Amino acid sequence: MRYQVVIAGFGGQGSVFLVKILALCAGNKNVACLGTENHGMSQRGGAVSCTIKLGDYSNPIIDPSQADLLIGLEKNEALRNINYLKPSGTLAVNAEDSFPKDDVSAKVIQIDAFTKAKNREFPIQGLNVYMLGVVLAKCEDFPFTLEDVKEALVQFNPKVAQENIEVLEKAIEDIKGK
Amino acid sequence: MKQTLMGNDAIALGMIHSNIDMVSGYPGTPSSEILTNVQKLKAQLKLDLYAQWATNEKVGFEVAYAGAIAGRRAAATMKQVGLNVASDPLMSAAYIGNLGAFVLIVADDPGFHSSQTEQDSRVFAKFAKIPVLDPATPQDAYDFVSLAVDISEKFQTPTMLRPVMRVCHARQIVEVKENHEFNPKKGKFQREISRWAAVPRAGRLRQGYEMIDRINAIKEYNWEELIKPEFEACKGGKLLVLTSGTGYGFAKEALEDLGIKADIVKFKMPYPLPENKIREQFANYEHILVVEEPMACIEEQIMASNVHGRLDNTMNVIDELQKIYIQDALTKLGLYKGENLYPSIPFKDEIPARPPNLCPGCPHRDVYYSIMKVFKKKKSIYPSDIGCYTLAINQEAIDTVLCMGASVSMASGFSIADPEKYTVATIGDSTFFHGGIPPLINAVYQKHKFLLVILDNSVVAMTGRQKPPQRQNGEVDIVKIAEGCGAETYEYVYSNDLNDTISFFKKMKEKYENATGPIVAVVREFCVLDKEVVGQHIHGEFAKVIAEECVACDHCTTIYKCPPMGYNEEGKVEIDPFLCIGCGSCLNVVCPTEAFTVDEERSK
Repeated sequence: MRYQVVIAGFGGQGSVFLVKILALCAGNKNVACLGTENHGMSQRGGAVSCTIKLGDYSNPIIDPSQADLLIGLEKNEALRNINYLKPSGTLAVNAEDSFPKDDVSAKVIQIDAFTKAKNREFPIQGLNVYMLGVVLAKCEDFPFTLEDVKEALVQFNPKVAQENIEVLEKAIEDIKGK
Repeated sequence: MKQTLMGNDAIALGMIHSNIDMVSGYPGTPSSEILTNVQKLKAQLKLDLYAQWATNEKVGFEVAYAGAIAGRRAAATMKQVGLNVASDPLMSAAYIGNLGAFVLIVADDPGFHSSQTEQDSRVFAKFAKIPVLDPATPQDAYDFVSLAVDISEKFQTPTMLRPVMRVCHARQIVEVKENHEFNPKKGKFQREISRWAAVPRAGRLRQGYEMIDRINAIKEYNWEELIKPEFEACKGGKLLVLTSGTGYGFAKEALEDLGIKADIVKFKMPYPLPENKIREQFANYEHILVVEEPMACIEEQIMASNVHGRLDNTMNVIDELQKIYIQDALTKLGLYKGENLYPSIPFKDEIPARPPNLCPGCPHRDVYYSIMKVFKKKKSIYPSDIGCYTLAINQEAIDTVLCMGASVSMASGFSIADPEKYTVATIGDSTFFHGGIPPLINAVYQKHKFLLVILDNSVVAMTGRQKPPQRQNGEVDIVKIAEGCGAETYEYVYSNDLNDTISFFKKMKEKYENATGPIVAVVREFCVLDKEVVGQHIHGEFAKVIAEECVACDHCTTIYKCPPMGYNEEGKVEIDPFLCIGCGSCLNVVCPTEAFTVDEERSK
């Protein structure tokens, strides 16, 4: 299997956490993976993008036009990284309805998670997990299942796993009802 | 046993599994998590080992190196610019060598992700004449630690492990040793004055010849153990790719993507190379392409007429590798004629930049705001330093950034060069300890007149909140150090009320007028990311903006510049509730029309 994911957000949004979860999913399924993340200056509210390549790869960086999936934790960060996505890939993005879908050649799954968090439908700290739920529900070629992700969340931190699983399930419900 | 590890976790575990029992270093992205992880493993597994931060890289190097002289297995960790600071002991240690193992771990940053300069520490190893190992992945990083220990002990030489950011911060499933029993060595210093304290010229010259012999023996070893098996698997043909470290991953994937058959030889040890034996292989190929980053370390050693790379502009000459550079190189060599597989088509409209900024609630913001308010932009020069506070560049409150500690010495220089202006230098606590003390002594010694503001948040915040000396135990005191250097020293304990901070700097300006040498202001702060102390300082006083009062003057968004402040669709400033942490600092002074007020509902 070969599958490349870019996760784009800004400092504090938890892009790095998502890479860790996906790496755990890969490990549990005995799929090789190679990921990378930005640290340093980009932690302070700057743009942060992380990558994970699942399958037989030898270099952690994803090149332009190569990603199968782009998870955009914020609208502008999604658009900033859109050049990494294959024309046939999928963009899962947290953005208002006005997001310029037509200007993106990939398949777009859009949901306004910020507004839902503002309305206290889920805690904002769970935005990253929420977007992963959206991917699980709507991205057909995504290589992991809901059960795989749940297992990784428990493995990562059993104390907060239940809260995260609730966010994940809430996201799946929301996007299906959309 | 398989574990999902980041490169720096893998290096730390590799150190434990190689029985390295003395580790010292100074934090710096992308190297910082290595020592942090050794400390974690020490606590988790209750290991008997030394793992501590040093005040700077030179000190860290020397502490660990002494351990290796005394027969223990030791390592020093740092980033590439840190090696510049530690270069003095490195150059001598290369002559002297060691009895135990000395592994020098230097993390490089091709592409300047979080560094002032790019630098290639492999070239530094070549300059110093010590062997260097270049891992391509976290798995390599884990494996190469024990290889470095073996080489260091076998040849009695400092041995460098040089991961790049894409190894340190890469994540992979790594095969690691199971049930390792940690077995530290006892140190036993053996007096040998002619070796450990050799003086020029006779003693050092002899050691110089020994070093040359050693490096030649390592070349042989490199060929026999590491390189020969790689060439034996080669087939010959149009193209041979020579590479090391991450270059391997880029080259392998690019050749696969482009459908080009070629032999790839990955050098685990890119210096010292047995250049003649390698050149003998070139007859089997039309072209040799060297893929390495960030400089031409391999290429310089094996230069020949059919070798291409960075030196002849076939590859990129600066910046992190990308597969498109390899595609371009192959196109130039006439080996690829197909379409561009990596077209980068950005979004059609411009996307607003998101420069890194000081965290919401960070006291540095208030300090810089106050300094600028009192000393004025046009009337002063603001040299600063390396650390979080460099981000005050967004407030235009910093004029120069050079290297660790340079704010103080450059303040001396500016005070001489342009005495009509005020010179106000800023430096953090850890950076002051690292490189700021000698220049302060120099300034007192020569009566250079400037204000030095030491922003003491008692944490090395930017690299992951390591504890600096005054935090580890209370015996180191910055105020006493500054006083001991002979500087007129003042202390201010930060308050959330901007009026207080401004009053303090007004007082500093008065002192400045009458001063005959440097004056030092130690500002006692905290870091908002520092969980141990933040609760004592942030009381949940949230701000909101009275829309009718906001005249869109940009003052808060361009001069105070706290991330939650931004314009809404009505053109009024609004506070983003997701970003505001409730420090209340913006409630006074910041807004010229006093539109900021307490958000009673959120502050409850």
